Amino acid sequence: MTEPEQTGRGRVNGGLKMMSRATYIREALLKNLFLLCAIVAVAAVALIFVFTTARGWEVVKDPGLAAFLGGTEWSSTLGRFGILPLVVGTLAITLGSLVLGAPLAIGTAVFLSEIASPRMRSIVRPAVEMLAGVPSVVYGFFGLVILRPIAAELTGGMGFGTLTASVILAVMIVPTIATLTEDALGSVPPGIREASYAMGATTWQTIYKVLLPAAKIGIIDATILGMGRAIGETMAVVMVAGNAPQFFKGLGAPIATLTSQIVIDMSYATGTHKTALFGLAIILFLISMGLVALVRALSRLNAKKA
Amino acid sequence: MATLVLALTLTGCTGGGERREVIVTGSTTLLPITEVSGEMYTESHDGIAILVSGMGSSAGIESVSKGSSDIGTSSRELKDAELDLGLEDTPVAYDAIAVIVHPDNPVSDLTTLEVRSIFAGVITNWSEVGGPDLPIGLVNRDEASGTREAFSKIIMDDAQFDHGAVVLPGTGQVRSVIADVRGAIGYISLGFVTDDVKAVAIDGVEPSEATVVSGDYPVQRVLHFFAKDDLSDIARDYIEYVLSPDVQDTIVRDAGFIPITAKEAIGD
Amino acid sequence: MGKRWTNRIALGVLWLCGLTTVVVLGAVIVYVFIRGIGQITPEFIFTAPHGVNAEGGIGPTIVATIYVTGLAMLIVTPIAVLAAVYLAEYAVQGRLVNTIRFAADTLASVPSIVMGLFGFALFYEVMGLGFSVLSGALALSFLMLPIVMRATEEAIRAVPRFIRWGSYGLGASKWQTVSKIVLPSAMPRILTGLILAMGRAVGETAVVIFTMGQAIYTPISPLDPGRSMTVHLYTLAMEGINMDAAYGTALLLMVMILLFNVSARWLAARNRRLKG
Repeated sequence: MTEPEQTGRGRVNGGLKMMSRATYIREALLKNLFLLCAIVAVAAVALIFVFTTARGWEVVKDPGLAAFLGGTEWSSTLGRFGILPLVVGTLAITLGSLVLGAPLAIGTAVFLSEIASPRMRSIVRPAVEMLAGVPSVVYGFFGLVILRPIAAELTGGMGFGTLTASVILAVMIVPTIATLTEDALGSVPPGIREASYAMGATTWQTIYKVLLPAAKIGIIDATILGMGRAIGETMAVVMVAGNAPQFFKGLGAPIATLTSQIVIDMSYATGTHKTALFGLAIILFLISMGLVALVRALSRLNAKKA
Repeated sequence: MATLVLALTLTGCTGGGERREVIVTGSTTLLPITEVSGEMYTESHDGIAILVSGMGSSAGIESVSKGSSDIGTSSRELKDAELDLGLEDTPVAYDAIAVIVHPDNPVSDLTTLEVRSIFAGVITNWSEVGGPDLPIGLVNRDEASGTREAFSKIIMDDAQFDHGAVVLPGTGQVRSVIADVRGAIGYISLGFVTDDVKAVAIDGVEPSEATVVSGDYPVQRVLHFFAKDDLSDIARDYIEYVLSPDVQDTIVRDAGFIPITAKEAIGD
Repeated sequence: MGKRWTNRIALGVLWLCGLTTVVVLGAVIVYVFIRGIGQITPEFIFTAPHGVNAEGGIGPTIVATIYVTGLAMLIVTPIAVLAAVYLAEYAVQGRLVNTIRFAADTLASVPSIVMGLFGFALFYEVMGLGFSVLSGALALSFLMLPIVMRATEEAIRAVPRFIRWGSYGLGASKWQTVSKIVLPSAMPRILTGLILAMGRAVGETAVVIFTMGQAIYTPISPLDPGRSMTVHLYTLAMEGINMDAAYGTALLLMVMILLFNVSARWLAARNRRLKG
């Protein structure tokens, strides 16, 4: 990985140099200090998992795992905490945002990687990065004042719901998917492109038949991470989704997600209700961790192939 | 939106002399009045701090009867069990709720039962209440809202709100959506009604300051300050301040309520 | 002819994709700018909101945002940088390193609402810090740890090997090499990463709303509560009464973040130029 001196454990500088005992001890101590810092990351994840679960695990008792995971009604006034409508809501807007956002993002990445002139690249790439920097509340704000009335015209309802939320989320996940896809395309060896062109293929044919398949795993990774982003997004969704915990009734019907329900309810929730919200948090945590594991597993598979 | 928040209003560095405090706890509905008036009182009265928090009407009543706060604010009347706690009642404002629809909506009058049925999702088309053939777009407030709590008690009377209603955590949003969507209906504090929306008459009574004060308009409640009669002088002074035009005509109205001074205070 | 036409159309579509991104960004910025610019007066920036509908300025929220972000960076930077040093310089491939990387990736993907609830459970409830800048900063530092770690690690790895060999060749120890040669050389990139992380922290809402709270207050000690600009924007937008202040807040927020982005970019470009 780095230097030839790093051979085995417990050997600093690989014992190739003469050093005073003091220096040896100091080096070893420092190395362990850094190790400790690195382990903080692991400790952090563990802490999040432990505390969130501790605060939320009573949903297993009340309302009970079956009622929680399989319940079709979420109503705090009735004391029912079934997450299915929320799960459907999350799925609906995630799907919607991927359908709209993934092609746009991949297209942008391909554009940046294969077609854009250096000048265009210097405009578009910063634009993608800055899009990532816009706070979610600003996106939600934008969705609320600009998109909602348009969606209302299109769907005949009030404009709160899956359509508006999907559009906003699509814009928000474009930077994530685009940057990672661009990286994936960039790691395809240039020789492959040249060979393709040498055989008379057009740019599009090269992209479509050669590059995209070559970068497939990277693109899938990017999409999965984009999906994770969409699932976890909260503030923008709360402002445009309508926050009605009901099953999907159409693109223009209000809907609630696992994330939006937490924000809406948290400020006044007590007792079982609050515990249920932490239950939602646990689910979200597990989903995001699962997606990360999936991406890592896919990358490992890909590495083995190559 | 600010509910579990302790709003500490402290004076600047005060030199010698003890700091005297008035502790005000209770309804979150009253927070706009108590927080802002408390702040203003603190600014103009050196050495005195009004400490405000919002944990709910019940908590406020309990706290003042136990002595852990000076004033308990409440958006509801005292329950029977609370009547002999020796609490003095000072009403500070009327909270009237207007049911609003799009200005072009021909419907101008609804009965309480019709409103309840609409918000419960039983009536779903304007044609069922004498309007055009247009689906009703329900707009509800979030459960943390005092306005929703009041509406639920007065109109819904234990009936459940339709799950499919859009839930918006703010008055302005409710108003601007209803001003924009022809079939929408919602409810906001009367003080916030503007020309962008139309407030319907309930059971034949038009909502206005006059009908609220006279008690004819049904969708209203009184906001209270409760205190024991061994109240400290500064606390009394603060209550006087809240009843003065400085607060009644500005802060109370800004918060969408109707000043109690619009008529001499009518107790309950 | 078939493939030429397909090519043209396809390339056109791809161009459209690239342009759409720029157009959307431009639309958001322009819209916020137009509606918000009228609000930006010195009064807006420095005075506090008063009255029921937050008339006046947003001074305390700006202070709160800067305070909580700065404190979070202070907490997270030493740990993240040293962790990255470990991963880049000392670590050997193995279960431990894998676990660390998995943890860092997971941390980076945790939805911010979960981070906010966690922060509420740990810092507000269990540790009793209440709604405070400290609670918010601690929660934010969890969020930023993987970002700074990754940026620093990449920065360190970007330092060419021969520089280290030269140092070892002169008899320097590992730590001497890292501290006097590698880190200084990687510093501009590390700074870039830090600035970008700060931009991300400034834009956070869900984490801060449950840890720093929503009280409009100018925080002085880290135990004071405060309302960040993002939370203020959310509250104003949802209440919908003072939309002018909402636009003004949105504009200031975007300006702040854009400044972070642009300086990070400038720093990176300057570094590239100097290094040749």
